[in-house]
Amino acid sequence: MPGGGRCPDCGSTELVEDSHYSQNQLVCSDCGCVVTEGVLTTTYTDEGNLREVTYSRSTGENEQVSRSQQRGLRRVRDLCRVLQLPPTFEDTAVAYYQQAYQHSGIRAARLQKKEVLVGCCVLITCRQRNWPLTMGTICTLLYADLDMFSGTYMQMVRLLGLDVPSLCLVDLVKTYCSSFKLFEASPSVPAKYVEDKEKMLSRTLQLVELADETWLVTGRHPLPVITAATFLAWQSLRPSDRLTCSLARFCKLANVDLPYPASSRLQELLAVLLRLAEQLAWLQVLKLDKRSVVAHIGDLLQHRHMLVRKAFRDGTAEPGALDAREEELQGPGQGQGWGREDRGHGSLDLPAGKRPASPALLLPPCMLKPPKRICPTPPVSTVTGDENISDSEIEQYLRTPQEVRDFQRAQATRQAATSVPNPP
Amino acid sequence: MDQNNNPPPYAQGAMTPGIPIFSPMMLYGTGLTPQPIQNTNSLSILEEQQRQQQQQQQQQQAAVAAVQQSTSQQATQGASGQTPQLFHSQTLTTAPLPGTTPLYPSPMTPITPATPASESSGIVPQLQNIVSTVNFGCKLDLKTIALHAGNAEYNSKWFAAVIMRIREPWTTALIFSSGKMVRTGAKSEEQSRLAARKYARVVQKLGVPAKFLDFKIQNMVGSCDVKFPIRLEGFVLTHQQFSSYEPELFPGLIHRMIKPRIVLLIFVSGKVILTGAKVRAEIYEAFENIYPILKGFRKTT
Repeated sequence: MPGGGRCPDCGSTELVEDSHYSQNQLVCSDCGCVVTEGVLTTTYTDEGNLREVTYSRSTGENEQVSRSQQRGLRRVRDLCRVLQLPPTFEDTAVAYYQQAYQHSGIRAARLQKKEVLVGCCVLITCRQRNWPLTMGTICTLLYADLDMFSGTYMQMVRLLGLDVPSLCLVDLVKTYCSSFKLFEASPSVPAKYVEDKEKMLSRTLQLVELADETWLVTGRHPLPVITAATFLAWQSLRPSDRLTCSLARFCKLANVDLPYPASSRLQELLAVLLRLAEQLAWLQVLKLDKRSVVAHIGDLLQHRHMLVRKAFRDGTAEPGALDAREEELQGPGQGQGWGREDRGHGSLDLPAGKRPASPALLLPPCMLKPPKRICPTPPVSTVTGDENISDSEIEQYLRTPQEVRDFQRAQATRQAATSVPNPP
Repeated sequence: MDQNNNPPPYAQGAMTPGIPIFSPMMLYGTGLTPQPIQNTNSLSILEEQQRQQQQQQQQQQAAVAAVQQSTSQQATQGASGQTPQLFHSQTLTTAPLPGTTPLYPSPMTPITPATPASESSGIVPQLQNIVSTVNFGCKLDLKTIALHAGNAEYNSKWFAAVIMRIREPWTTALIFSSGKMVRTGAKSEEQSRLAARKYARVVQKLGVPAKFLDFKIQNMVGSCDVKFPIRLEGFVLTHQQFSSYEPELFPGLIHRMIKPRIVLLIFVSGKVILTGAKVRAEIYEAFENIYPILKGFRKTT
């Protein structure tokens, strides 16, 4: 409506308010000239009221759980269900995941790492509740490699300041042994290979305890030791039929993966058993080897505590005490040997001066093996750090101009060669 | 891992004086704060102090004749490579020990020197590697350096620095285009400084006006052998807050000591690797802290 304004072009008073889309305009109806224009947008002061809630707050994205976190939490629950863990474990693992997610380092990590984080949370939960779960199992389930897993695991333990107890060996033995498919006859498992679960379990536990006492477990992955112990326990329960079965075949029968170090652990365990056998008088005469000792494992395990004390001297004992102990050990051992000889056979099979083998050192295998390379002690150097540096010494590190030219030429030819991969 | 305000249990009580004289821990006694070595001046102060201390030690050795019996006792405990008489003069000095004192820079309290010689470990960790940095103070053209220096590698696609090596002392350096250099491989602080100066000379000879600013030792690694096997599972049970033992991942136990701030890798064979130190004294102190605890895990049931 014209309010007393005149058009500057033609002077007419016929001004019409016409909104061009959202913009208010005062237009002259005679010549079409735009007299005034409204503001297209609201002014800053107008918007003052609109500024109370920022966009990000209005959508509530900070309170919500992000999509990747949601995915992670779902993966945690799935993993707990796959492993058939009790329901309380699920809640704890989820809580750990959420706690870890609050750290910016984890939030910004790659998806691969977040995937591995799922496994870490589940593992920590299981460890804290003494549920035996190995890292190998989790890595297989997540298709992750152990390096990635170990880095994320250590980072998480450090970030959250958690106290993670060690893997309980006894529980691990029980769970792992129960997974061997040897307790019922089946088309792949002949009857002579089937074994009673309780007997095998108790014998395996005793063998693992023996391995632990003789330094075969500290510092090593526990699973190969348990595999070797299970194999020996199984063999010794019916040696006549089972001595012919190898470790690899045993694992295939039992439908269990054979860990690579298991065969060397087996050899170490057999060596320990042979040493123990040397202390049992009725086994000394049999001159056992690694195969025949298996049949006597039952006897050896029954007296294992005494035999370990007799067969091995403490590798850490003071030198002075050692000689006294050696004599004390060999005295009764010799007497025992003689006594049984007299009683048993009447003829002296052992030569007069023979004694049982002097006790071996009870040390971890890495200390018993000779060092791979002798590290010479570095000579005491009298370097002060302020000595003069001769020019000739520095010159040897620099290229002569001729060498520089040769090098450049060689580089050029190499680049030319790589830029033309398929010469005609 | 949380930072405790209480010192860990093994740091309390009488600390053993088995730290050899030549360590820069003498700084504690003179009231200087034991900062990492910043420039050439502080190193020369250090050497002066070492010379003074050696003179003192020689004077005291004359009076040590009566203590010879404990020398033999220590020798049988398997002292590895270091002369025992250092320890005796150590027991007679009134040098304050870093183990019993709170974190620098509070004043150090002297300790009574009458600790028996059998408590000291008799073993000295050997330094294996020292990482240091130095600033040349000018920008560098890596391509030219790599071209004119015979002992340099440079592949800009893999890594944005020149890798240079020198033979004496055998060390490797990474030289960046900003003029900073990271040096690794020396077995002592003095060797490290000498090597850094040699690298600087090489770069100078290539026509770059390199200076030798801010020489700083960033990390020192030491190793030693206690010569008896250690029950790592027992160790981690008693020191759970500071230790991490995961046999599925790594055969050694990782122990993060708070005072001094050192990481120790302890293996079942008795070998111990100490890392994270900025000065040599921290390594010695950390080892002296851990040795009594390791001895406690020596005897098996």
